[in-house]
Amino acid sequence: MSAAATSHKTPVSAARKPDGFPLGWRRYRSYTLFAFTSVPIMVSAVGLLEGVHALAQGEDAWKAWLAALRQPHWLALSSFCLAFVLYFAIRFGWVGRKIGAGRIGPLPRPPLPLPLLGIAPIGGFVTVWLVLLVILGGVL
Amino acid sequence: MKLIHKLEPIFWMLFGGGGFVVAFVMPALILGVLILAPLGLMEQGLSYHRAHALAASLAGKGFLVVVLSLAFWHAAHHLRHFILDLFGHSGALPGAYFSYGLALAGTIATLVTVAAL
Repeated sequence: MSAAATSHKTPVSAARKPDGFPLGWRRYRSYTLFAFTSVPIMVSAVGLLEGVHALAQGEDAWKAWLAALRQPHWLALSSFCLAFVLYFAIRFGWVGRKIGAGRIGPLPRPPLPLPLLGIAPIGGFVTVWLVLLVILGGVL
Repeated sequence: MKLIHKLEPIFWMLFGGGGFVVAFVMPALILGVLILAPLGLMEQGLSYHRAHALAASLAGKGFLVVVLSLAFWHAAHHLRHFILDLFGHSGALPGAYFSYGLALAGTIATLVTVAAL
């Protein structure tokens, strides 16, 4: 009998949140902060899409859009989004070190210390960011 | 909710792919386009003509569609589970439709906007 079939017959208490969730314990805070990164990512995507829309409308629209983004509240929002997206990327890369190390089951231990393996994905991200910034900046 | 569960592997694939895309390119795009360009620090690289040429090329259009739509789907899947964590099972269905609805709207808007370049 499958677990799904038995779960209907086994009396269990109602599902509830763990005590202190979402901000009562540092691991909950970390988890919640990571989940919250979805909001700045969505906002950033909308902001970039607006830029593409302005580009499609012509030179005046593009310049007006850039001028609007220069206002302090939009710069603050962009910086806020950047901070959270950076946090997402670094944490995403940091998790990647465990995948690369293959620490599940009878696999051999990684040849390098685990923190060192975390540098690889984050280093890859930073390299791509720099290349993109060079392209966007018109150097290439 | 059955439909959402049926589509779960697709949502997961878009979430995973979107995570990579966001980590690899979004910080540079936000810094370059949403912060440095408005401050006038990208005048040469993101002048209208150069920015339009970059975005309107075949590679540019493909890049924009992949990056923006995957970013929407990644954020939507994470947001759905964030809503579930905060509001419990009562928020599961509205959270799923709200999140994936945003991603679908974002993807359609991306396709329409990029096609107009």
